[in-house]
Amino acid sequence: MKERTMWEQIADSLRSRSLWMLHYCTGCGAMELPPTMTARFDMERFGVAPMATPRQADIMLITGYLNTKTLRRVIYTYEQMADPKYVIGFGSCTINGGIYFDSYSTINRLDYYIPVDVYIAGCMPRPEAILEAFNYLMEKIRKGEADGWKRYKENYEWYKQNQIRSLGEVYVHDEFHE
Amino acid sequence: MTNSMSKAVEVLKSFNPFVEEIDDREIKISLSNDKVISALDVLKSIGFSHLSLITCVDWIDDNQFELVYILFNWEDGGKILVSTRIDRSNPKFITVKELWPVARFYEREIHEFFGIEFEGNDDMRPLFLELWDEKPPMRKDFDPSKYSKEKFPDRKYEKDVIKEAKIFRGEING
Amino acid sequence: MGEVKLFFGPNHPGMHGNFSVHMYVEGDVVKRARPLPGFLHRGFEKLMERRYWLSNLALIPRICVPEPDINEACYAMGIEKIAKLDVPERAQWIRMIVLELARMANHLSAIGGVGGPIGLYTASHWGTADRDRILDIFEALTGARVYHMYIIPGGVRKNMTPQIEEMIWKVMDYIESRLDDYENLIFKNRILHSRLKGRLILTREQALEMGVTGVGIRATGVEYDIRKVDPYLFYDKVEFEVPTATDADAFSRVYLKFKELSQSIRIIRQALEKMPQSDKVNVPISKGSALRHVVPKGMAYAHIESARGEFGFFVVSDGKNKPYRVAVRGASYPQGLYGIEKYLPGTRIEDVALWLATMDVCAPEIDR
Repeated sequence: MKERTMWEQIADSLRSRSLWMLHYCTGCGAMELPPTMTARFDMERFGVAPMATPRQADIMLITGYLNTKTLRRVIYTYEQMADPKYVIGFGSCTINGGIYFDSYSTINRLDYYIPVDVYIAGCMPRPEAILEAFNYLMEKIRKGEADGWKRYKENYEWYKQNQIRSLGEVYVHDEFHE
Repeated sequence: MTNSMSKAVEVLKSFNPFVEEIDDREIKISLSNDKVISALDVLKSIGFSHLSLITCVDWIDDNQFELVYILFNWEDGGKILVSTRIDRSNPKFITVKELWPVARFYEREIHEFFGIEFEGNDDMRPLFLELWDEKPPMRKDFDPSKYSKEKFPDRKYEKDVIKEAKIFRGEING
Repeated sequence: MGEVKLFFGPNHPGMHGNFSVHMYVEGDVVKRARPLPGFLHRGFEKLMERRYWLSNLALIPRICVPEPDINEACYAMGIEKIAKLDVPERAQWIRMIVLELARMANHLSAIGGVGGPIGLYTASHWGTADRDRILDIFEALTGARVYHMYIIPGGVRKNMTPQIEEMIWKVMDYIESRLDDYENLIFKNRILHSRLKGRLILTREQALEMGVTGVGIRATGVEYDIRKVDPYLFYDKVEFEVPTATDADAFSRVYLKFKELSQSIRIIRQALEKMPQSDKVNVPISKGSALRHVVPKGMAYAHIESARGEFGFFVVSDGKNKPYRVAVRGASYPQGLYGIEKYLPGTRIEDVALWLATMDVCAPEIDR
């Protein structure tokens, strides 16, 4: 890894304190997000807040299994997000397919298609585990180790090739307005 | 059997049905496939007006699909499973969307997962799957595990846990 | 002004779950709408054919996320119907308590879910916080917050200890004491009234034609509740009312959910009192090792009144150790697919999120 300049170190340290997560429930792990957001666990005390649009978001949460139809949208969304961007994979489904290991429509490992910075084990992860993951991600950002977005740029061909192998085509068709 | 169910059996006598009792509030009526639509029409008019589900079972050994229409009577809680069998090699049936408009979506789903055509239901675009390139997935001869292995790469673990467990149980030598 | 394309979801803060509605709008009015499900399709029905009867227990709660226990209960009741099992009495009462707790948890999160799209965040915070109390009961009882895998074919997995019963009494008292606050702060709030009263009216004829169940039909003044019409478990041995409304609008649907909370509390209290003491809470489906259990040939349809309406499992067995076919009737199937296409045109853009929230469209159970 390259040595960071002083300005980059300062920027990383500031970045880690204000993370906006994209409000996109891709799977069932999103059920534990309302308790995490609201009074009991309150993730806002760590500086993490939900954000509606991908263009202003920093973290993307892949909350659980992804089927091929959602993965197309996830790739679209991920590529729309501005650098630096981080991905957290929720639950065993994103790690190795989990309980859907033999399903015909869900993918088995997420880091083949988009780079993942932090994984949370479990099905489904508890709010405490989610907060722990946010803390771990902040730590990684501060140290400059959360470089998934750089890896995506460097290995873009490899990621694209994997995406096309599993999806056939990444393009999202406009089905209604043909 | 509830009153409405015995009435239904009575009314359907002329269709020569095969009636099985599953529960005291649930029966299954098997009919030949040319009589199903008129039987459903009759059942709807005598109180079984709620269509719970249309579903399909793939009896691959008999080379047949079984279509099951589950009807519910809100007045006394009777359930009737109207079932019919159609040929598996050229699966075709008639739509019931005139009786229950929501059936359009159930039929679309069955078309997508079993490949059955419903005459009269022209909207047969895929509903759940996108860019599907194999045979309809709910058919018994489709192997999801093989499809998943080919398309979606697995995570390779350095440790083979299953092998270790087998060694632990003494089934193979390590 | 011409028609404008508009995509609502899957990535949208007002969207409940991963679901999409494509529409053409003219000004603020929706002209045509089309649901686009399938973002959560995991092929459950296929996967269930590939696993043993009991290993399916790990899979089925994941069909419907906000209220997972109904899946286990339907699956178990379907198998018990085919195998003609006699479930111990205590297990039936415990199931009833668990199902009512799940209904309360879902209603509380649904009240919270309505708060989001209309901008009344108090409802979201309160609903989620009180739902967490119920999740704590589940954690004590089953070991997990969301997916419990507690109701198994033949009974329930573990007995309910006196400590947990005491905990349920306490939480019920707490939630009952909160209901007045909910009524005053949320259901008498002007924001809620002006956004929900008279909106998204679904008349009785439309609801019956569509096959809507649950609060959607009860808001039109019909007392259609499977717990009363086709009683399962011991719902015929407890006293409760089915709240109805006559306005048939979005407000009455949310308000009915709130009214059902107090009925659920009533049912749980009666169940805790009437529940016999016993150590036996489950019976095996058949003899032999748990993973090699077989269910005799046959088919059955078991349905229950979930928080969103009729939820059912159609189970087919060919006498082997795996199910031959399992089909799921999602409660929000009619209103989530047909309803959006037919009844959303003519409403306004901001009501689309409310349709999903007040009709309780649950994407995972539509997609499966």
